[in-house]
Order: sequence, then structure tokens, then C-alpha cells
Amino acid sequence: MRRAYKVKNGAPYVIMVLPALVIFVTFFILPLIYTAKYSFYNWTNFSREITFNGLENYKAIFQDSILEKGITNTLIFAFVTVTVQSLISLPVSVFLNSKLKGRNVYRAIFFAPAVLSTLVVGYLWKYLMSSSDYGFINNLLMGMGLEKVNFLGDAKIALFAIITISVWQWFGWSMVIYLGSLQSISGELYEAASVDGANGFQQFWHITIPGLAPAIKINFVTSTISGLKVFDLVLSTTNGGPAHKTETILTLMFSKFSEGNYGYASAFGIVFLIVSMIVAAVMLGIFKKWEDRLG
Amino acid sequence: MKKKTLLTDILKHLFLLILALIVLTPIYYLIVTTFKSGTEAALHPMSLPSSFDFGRYVQAFHDMQYPRAFKNTLLITVGAVVGIIGASSMCGYVLNRKGKKKITQFIFLLILSGMMFPYQMSIMGLYKLIRGLGLMNSLLGVILIDIAINIPFATFLMKNFISTVPIELEEAAKIDGAGVFRTFATITFPLLKPVVATIAILNTLNVWNDFMGPLYFLQTRENDVILQEVYRNIGQFSTDWTSLFPMMVLGVLPLLIFYLFMQRYIISGVMAGSVKG
Repeated sequence: MRRAYKVKNGAPYVIMVLPALVIFVTFFILPLIYTAKYSFYNWTNFSREITFNGLENYKAIFQDSILEKGITNTLIFAFVTVTVQSLISLPVSVFLNSKLKGRNVYRAIFFAPAVLSTLVVGYLWKYLMSSSDYGFINNLLMGMGLEKVNFLGDAKIALFAIITISVWQWFGWSMVIYLGSLQSISGELYEAASVDGANGFQQFWHITIPGLAPAIKINFVTSTISGLKVFDLVLSTTNGGPAHKTETILTLMFSKFSEGNYGYASAFGIVFLIVSMIVAAVMLGIFKKWEDRLG
Repeated sequence: MKKKTLLTDILKHLFLLILALIVLTPIYYLIVTTFKSGTEAALHPMSLPSSFDFGRYVQAFHDMQYPRAFKNTLLITVGAVVGIIGASSMCGYVLNRKGKKKITQFIFLLILSGMMFPYQMSIMGLYKLIRGLGLMNSLLGVILIDIAINIPFATFLMKNFISTVPIELEEAAKIDGAGVFRTFATITFPLLKPVVATIAILNTLNVWNDFMGPLYFLQTRENDVILQEVYRNIGQFSTDWTSLFPMMVLGVLPLLIFYLFMQRYIISGVMAGSVKG
């Protein structure tokens, strides 16, 4: 009797959890298990049967030098983007947190690129950075008496050109995260520091930065993880070229998918999983140390 | 002392103005170029167009099958955002109110694990699954994927927020004889407005601008979204390079309008979503 009462009481709660749980397990956990499984299979668009082939896909991946390039490019992209983004957005957010005229307008302008589609942003910058006659940036450079630069076509700088575009688009987003955190730092701390004779830079270093520690962590960890997923931007600017110099993990996976090499692409996904877990663990470890030191 | 602060203020403004110029110039260029011929755009990239001819927009609108693509994008976004809010609010509610039970703690950790991994790594398994379920080329498939990948963060925000909603009101409703569903729907859910707004805004941006999901799972043209139309048309040969610009503008216009009107809410939504995350 008592038990029946209990079940009846709990049933609505079970029903309320189910939609989220079922959708999440079916479309997130299950595909992960599938991907792990098929990374050991010879699964292509052309063969009728999907057969087990052990570590063949993984062997093929590690013999393929493009993969190494893809991982290196992705890591460079993620770390450089995140760092430069914060180098710009940190001072900007500090300025905008003071009683500056027009700060709401600045804030709205800086955030605007973040609502644009990354794919379209890539196309737009491809025209801006073009080395043809109409390339806007090159015309500016030549107007200043400088040489033309083939930003997206020169293997040495193409990746950094893409990084520049990404910083342009996303520094406003991290600025907003810093602004949210700055508002929670008490003004009294600064007053006390002024009384003690600390200058602006000292205040920034000893009050602002430690106060922003959680926001810095959020910005670095989330932006790095999303940097690892860079795909649209590369597709619309260089499509991985020149000579695979801007290939990333996800563009390589997409080309394997388009070729119909599904098993190989699955193994690629698992390599991606491992890379992102390592990166996340390292970053969280570094921030834990830093936070411990700040006390 | 006064003089010094005036000088730093001027320097701050100078820095911010230059940055604003760098941010706005490409957007301005994007818009004015839609009205120019290739020659005009090459010669006078920054000037206002000599005439405002919307004929190029009409052409782009037609080439992109814009009404259809817009409808698909809208259906996916609305479906996913409503689904995310519905599922995560109920789930977050139970995970908080019944948070002491082992099973709810396990479910919370399981769902939270979804925040650590990018779903893109398991896209091949997803491909297999979607094909097996017969959801290939269906908007529903993409909606379900979008719900699944965004549920972890949404549930996390919901659970945190619900912990600040006093339980006494619910207890009073229960004494009056209201069941669990009714109590949740009429008492608790209306109090969740701030977090619902945050989740709605973050996910509208995410889902609307997602290109990779549709690229893999909506391969027939009649089911594709706006960004796929941009991708498809820009890839094609065109003698007049500026004719592609109206397509780019049409690609970003809906969210740009959304931003112009909701700017304050969007920015505070992003702020709220991150501070608590």
C-alpha cells in the first residue's frame, strides 16, 4: 500500500525528466557509442557490408601526414584566437566599465559581429582580403605605399589571416563576459587602493585581474573548445588551402565524409574527442593552479 | 590630476573609436557593395552607392529560394528553442527539487557530460543513427539534434535558477490540491522568465547560425536552410562578383534585425549565461 502510494507520487517527476533524458541519450550518447564502434569498421559508401577491420582506420590516420597538420592547425587556431581575443577584450571591457560617454553604443557595436553567421563573415572577408583588383585591404595597403599581400593565398600567413577574422567576429562576445564579471567587483576595493596610492596599472593587476579570474577561465576554456570546432570559417575562406595549410580537424573529417569514407571519418572523430579532452584537462589544470595561487 | 584624467579619457576614446571603425567598416562595406557594380565597388569601395537598385536583391531572393529557405530555418529554430526550453525546464526542475536522490544526481552528471564534448566528433554515429531512424533530410532530425546538443547547458542553467525559486509557493499549491504538473506549469514556470529569456536568446543565435548540422543532415534542396543557400550560390560561377553580396546580406539580415531591436536583451542574455556557467 505504502509502496503503491510512493510510485504514484514519483511518476510525474519521471515523466518530466524523460523528454530531456531520452533525447539527450538518443542523439548525443548513442551516436558517440556508434562512432566509437564504427571507427573499428570498414564502413564506406561503396561497400555493401560493414566489416570489422580492427585498428586499420587508426593506422591509416596516423600514417596520413595531413592529420598531423590538421591537429596542429586546429590547436594553433584555438590558442592564438583565444589569447588575442582576450588581449583586446580585456582592456576594452575595463574602459567600458567606467563612466565613459557612449559606452552602450560601443558595447553594441563591438558585439554586433557575433550575431552574424560565421559562414557569411568568412565570405565577406575573403573579398576584403582578396589580392585581386577589388581587394579592399590591399588597396588600402597600396594606397599607403606598401606591397600587396595575398592574405588567404599565401601558405605562410593564411592561418593567421583566418585567426584575424575570427578575432574580429568574437572579441565582442568575450568582452561581454568580462563586463558581466567586472560589474561584480566591488568599487570599494578600488577606493581603498587609491587611498593607498596604487596607480591605474597596479589596480588593474592586483584587483581587476584577480577579480576577473572566473571570467578569464570561462572565456579561455569555452573559446578554446569552440576554437577546436572551427569549420564554417575555413570552408568559406580557404577551404583548407593553400596546400592544406589551413586544414582543420573538422574540415578533414568533412572531406572524408564527402568521399564516403565513413569508418575513417569515425576514427577521426574519436581522435578529435581525445584531443579535446586533453586540451580541456590541461586548461582546467592550469586554471586550477592559478586560482589556488590567488587563494 | 584633472588634466591627467582628461588625457586618459581622450586616449580611451581614441582606442575605442579606432576599434569601432575596424568593426563597422566590413559591415558597411558588405551593405553598400550590394548596390554597386563590380567596377564601381573596386574604384569607390567606401563611397555611398550611386544608385539604390534593389533589382539585385530581387534576383538574389529568387536564386536563393528565400521564402522556402527562410521558412525551414525558422521552423528549425523555433522547434529547437521551444523543445530545449520545455525539456530543460522540466528536467532542471526535477533535478533540483529531487536533487538528493542518487538517481537524479547520476542523471545530472550524465547530462552535464554533454557540456564537455563537442558533438561534432560523433557526427558519423549521428549520421548512421539519423539514417536508421529515417530522419535523413527531415527538419525534425535536425531539430532533435539541436535539442540534444543544447540540453546540457540549458538544463544546467535551469537547475541553478530553480534553486533560487522558493519552494513554499509550490507547497501551498499542493495543499490546495494541485498536482505536480499543474504546480510546475502554473506556479514555477512563470517565475523562470529571466532564465527562459537567456536560454531562448543563446539558442536562437546558436541554432539559426548552425551550418554544419544542416550540411550533413539536410542534403536535398527543398529542405535546406538559408546558409546552405548562401553556400550553394556563392560556390557557383558568376561574372559579376558584387551580385553575390545581396545573398550575403540576405543570409545575415534576419538576425541583424533581431539584434537591432533586442540588443540590450541579447547582450544581457549572453552575460547571464556566462556568469552562471
